[in-house]
Amino acid sequence: MSSWRLAIRLARRDALRARGRSILVLVMIALPVLAVTAADVVIQTQEVTGVEALDRRLGTADAQVTVPAEGRPMVQRFDPMDGATTVGGKPDPPTEAEISAALGGARLVEERVGSVSYATDKGIGYVEVTEVDLRDPVADGLFELTSGRLPETAGEVVVNDAVLDSGYALGDTLDLGRQNPAPTIVGIADSASLRTAPTAAGPIGSLGLDARNGASPGWLAEGGPVSWDAVEALNTMGALVLSRAVIEDPPPASEIPEELNWDSGDDSMVAAVALIVVMALLEVVLLAGPAFAVTARRQARSLALMSATGGTPAQSRRVVLAGGLVLGGAAAVLGVVLGIGAGWLLLPVVQRWSSHWFGPFDVPWPHVAGIAMFGLASAVLAAVVPAWIAARQDVVAVLAGRRADRPPSVRSPILGVVLLGIGVAMAAYGAAAGSGSGEFLIAGSAIVAVLGMILVVPVVVAGVARAAGRLPLSTRYAARDAARHRTRTVPAIAAVAATVAGVVTLGIGLSSDEAENEGTYTPSLAMGQAAVTGYDLRPAAWDELARVVDRELPGATVTPMTGVGGEDWVDLQEPGGSAPLLDEMSVGFGSSMLVGRSVPDLVPGIAAADRERAAAVLADGGVVAFTDHDVAGDEIELMAGERGTTIRVPAAYVRFQDDTYPTLAAVASPEAVERLGVDVGTVAVAVAGADVSTEQEQDVTEAVAAVNPNAGFYVERGYQAEENTRIVQFVLAALGAILMLGGTLTATFLALSDARPDLATLSAVGASPRRRRSIAASYALVVGFVGALLGAAVGFIPGIAITYPLTAPAYTDTGPYLDVPWALIVGLVVGLPLLTAAIVGLCTRARLPMVARLD
Amino acid sequence: MNPLSSTVLHLDTVTRIHGEGATEVRALREVSFRVAAGELVAVMGPSGSGKSTLLTMAGGLDAPTSGTVSVEGVDLATLGNAGRARMRRTSVGYVFQDFNLIPALSAVENVALPMELDGVRSRAARAAARAALEEVGIPELADRFPDHMSGGQQQRVAIARAVVGERRLILADEPTGALDSETGEEILRLLRARCDAGAAGVLVTHEARHAAWADRVVFLRDGVVVDETGADPADVLLESRR
Ligand SMILES: Nc1ncnc2c1ncn2[C@@H]1O[C@H](COP(=O)(O)OP(=O)(O)OP(=O)(O)O)[C@@H](O)[C@H]1O
Ligand SMILES: [Mg+2]
Repeated sequence: MSSWRLAIRLARRDALRARGRSILVLVMIALPVLAVTAADVVIQTQEVTGVEALDRRLGTADAQVTVPAEGRPMVQRFDPMDGATTVGGKPDPPTEAEISAALGGARLVEERVGSVSYATDKGIGYVEVTEVDLRDPVADGLFELTSGRLPETAGEVVVNDAVLDSGYALGDTLDLGRQNPAPTIVGIADSASLRTAPTAAGPIGSLGLDARNGASPGWLAEGGPVSWDAVEALNTMGALVLSRAVIEDPPPASEIPEELNWDSGDDSMVAAVALIVVMALLEVVLLAGPAFAVTARRQARSLALMSATGGTPAQSRRVVLAGGLVLGGAAAVLGVVLGIGAGWLLLPVVQRWSSHWFGPFDVPWPHVAGIAMFGLASAVLAAVVPAWIAARQDVVAVLAGRRADRPPSVRSPILGVVLLGIGVAMAAYGAAAGSGSGEFLIAGSAIVAVLGMILVVPVVVAGVARAAGRLPLSTRYAARDAARHRTRTVPAIAAVAATVAGVVTLGIGLSSDEAENEGTYTPSLAMGQAAVTGYDLRPAAWDELARVVDRELPGATVTPMTGVGGEDWVDLQEPGGSAPLLDEMSVGFGSSMLVGRSVPDLVPGIAAADRERAAAVLADGGVVAFTDHDVAGDEIELMAGERGTTIRVPAAYVRFQDDTYPTLAAVASPEAVERLGVDVGTVAVAVAGADVSTEQEQDVTEAVAAVNPNAGFYVERGYQAEENTRIVQFVLAALGAILMLGGTLTATFLALSDARPDLATLSAVGASPRRRRSIAASYALVVGFVGALLGAAVGFIPGIAITYPLTAPAYTDTGPYLDVPWALIVGLVVGLPLLTAAIVGLCTRARLPMVARLD
Repeated sequence: MNPLSSTVLHLDTVTRIHGEGATEVRALREVSFRVAAGELVAVMGPSGSGKSTLLTMAGGLDAPTSGTVSVEGVDLATLGNAGRARMRRTSVGYVFQDFNLIPALSAVENVALPMELDGVRSRAARAAARAALEEVGIPELADRFPDHMSGGQQQRVAIARAVVGERRLILADEPTGALDSETGEEILRLLRARCDAGAAGVLVTHEARHAAWADRVVFLRDGVVVDETGADPADVLLESRR
């Protein structure tokens, strides 16, 4: 203990003496701690936990009882929202009186919760509604009235600003559709839990909630705490209970019914978090490593003096480790304090983006302690290797003023190569295992491979130095210097490499996933075409829809499509054959059999020659049948669903091209359907000849929904890369660039300060001040380039492996898709190192130190 | 003074070879000599003759290729690394040419360092360190840091550290090399006083004038003892060599 005290005193003083380096380490460790703490505070605060949410859900009630129509007996977890199901399914739900009796005569206030559609200024929207007597004290806290008054009769409601924004004002009537009540808006009130979604509340019956729109009968109960036993009793009767007493002071977990006792701690989630923590730790350790390496070297003489006065290697080691403790501890405290502050400042900003009201400000202390430990651990870990090397330094050499790292050991690169091999094997095994366990094996392989790579870096650096013989002076000097001072060069290169490896892995995964999406995309319509589809629509509705589209899209050709409909359908059979013509299909145009003289243009995947063949047969009163295999015949049997009529007509069999997923079984000529005697009507509206913009699409969609909620509008634009993917790719590249820049810059400037005496010698022999710049830039180039190259190579191992579980799911025969984002990789390996070198060159003071100062 | 009865340092046919084959350097070749308690021995010789090497052997910082080094009758080879470190904490004090002090520690902390490393309580170590600083005449500098001291003051602190506690052997490698002659003389006077008080001292120096403070002078050339003055006054010997 006392020797730690000495070590910490030394470390603290050294940290204060080398202020620049200390601040660097502080920032590098405090920043991630700060970011994670702030994020955690925001997440914990916005997450409304069980107890915090109770008042929002219960008002002042002791319990909320609902009777879902599932039947009795039921089982539930402590909070029925977390899980509940029926285990018997017998009907006859409990009555209000029975529930009250089961709660010891508690007073029950009826409450219904659900959502209904309402008319907005753009068409139809949905509003979350609560029917309860808001004036009853038990409902206090469910809604907060901001203006107007609370509803008093069943013809009055309060709504929130979101409803007003969709075209209503205080005093208006809320339009809930023809068959529903039309209550008057008498006040504006915010729901305690929903923030941005439209909400409305009023007495029972005011908003038309009943079994039709899925609302179950429910009550707020007041009459003393409701025990878990009482909850179970009500479960038996077929009711679910949210009890304040149970949530605030839950019974032992063994009380959770077996049927619902799933493991809430998701294993894969834990594994994923563990992986992220390990990778982040590795990155921070590698980034901070060079600073500790330089610090340890600056302490070399002090440590040698300590040895000369009888210090043991363990004591030397402790001094360097104590540096990690002091800086890591300070960074952890700083990061946590600033992080909590930043979280607090961020809350109002984040709240604006969220649809829910946040809970009270919540600092998750156990998490925060863990994050602080992470900061401390990363600093101590970053100091481990420098400490170990410092303890083994050649005391006599240091005292005599000679300095250089020991020659690289042979053992560690061999271990590195072995680890790389294990990484490759794990990745291959994970790729073969497919999704499920594969991802974790592959993620593990990434860590193993990166660790292996770190052990190989010294050899590579030594190789680069040896190969640098013919390079210009600055580059040669930088390469040799990098190799001579491996303790600071290796972690810097490794940090860059680990970053690049991560980015390359994720990049390959992302773009391969994207390639899969594109490869497996099946268009619903021919490219550029649009259609209105719908179900359960009357002919008048179709006319109205066609008119609306015509109005919204002037210049477009709007054609109603006819097809077999109503109660009728038609079975198709190749004469003499028994196999179905199509193994699978999805109805794309309201009916599997369209009626007309041609195959509509908007049906995708039909060759031009097939269309001509089809038109000829249809002119003949025949039928075009779609198949997924070659059928040679020229006749087909048609059977009209329940009517039983069977006829035989000329036929053209047509296959969909290019794996187009079948959206249609047949097109029949009007004569053929007439002979069958089936009902024919409009089943969809084809829209052609209009270059529909996204805004127009939005307008048509709203207009169409306003005509009938069962109708929809779709424009085929081919495969659209998801916006998210592109954003993620950009963020990845940016993050990689920042980390790489940070790693290279810190390593370079540390190297410059470390190389002071050498630079002084250079200046003494007449090097121009610009030389310092070019040496710095060269050093950055060596670090960045070697790191990026190694990292990219290592990143391919898990990168390629991950495409197997990602893009070749077990149940399909497609994939795996592999798409290497070469632009990203070339940018990382060539572009970024050059950019960093340029930045370093520009930022370096072009002044050589005139004196070699030792300290 | 009977050198045999109270030998503190004894080098017996010590050889130290650096490297192998073509790059082999014989820094010391079969060097033997003794230093008794109360005796100050000067080691002289041209640059590269092995003077510093001899001191690192004596303090157990480096081990001889062959031969034995004993301190207070104990063969250092038998002590092991930990034992040699303990010996440096308790029995041997080093003074180097310059940069003797740990810049992050104040003067008194620097002097207390070997005791603190030995696990002595901080307060006791500091008390002893203050006493040692008093002995070398700079009690008022106790709380200064090395950066704020002159070279001579730093060397005094280094000597205080070399003598603090019950040190029996003081090894000084050109302790005056970086000082002006007057300050250098004072440092040597301190060393001499310490030896008169019972310690054994080895002083590596270039300057014959400084060797005059010694009881004996050992001459090294290319790792070999080429001459050794007995109990004769050093200057007589120096005269005869010229
Ligand atoms: N680690 C080493 N590797 C190789 N040779 C060494 C090593 N240490 C010392 N030597 C060699 O041993 C010889 C003796 O060196 P030493 O430092 O003892 O000389 P010195 O007498 O102290 O010289 P100076 O007066 O310049 O300090 C020299 O030739 C030196 O080059
Ligand atoms: Mg020397």
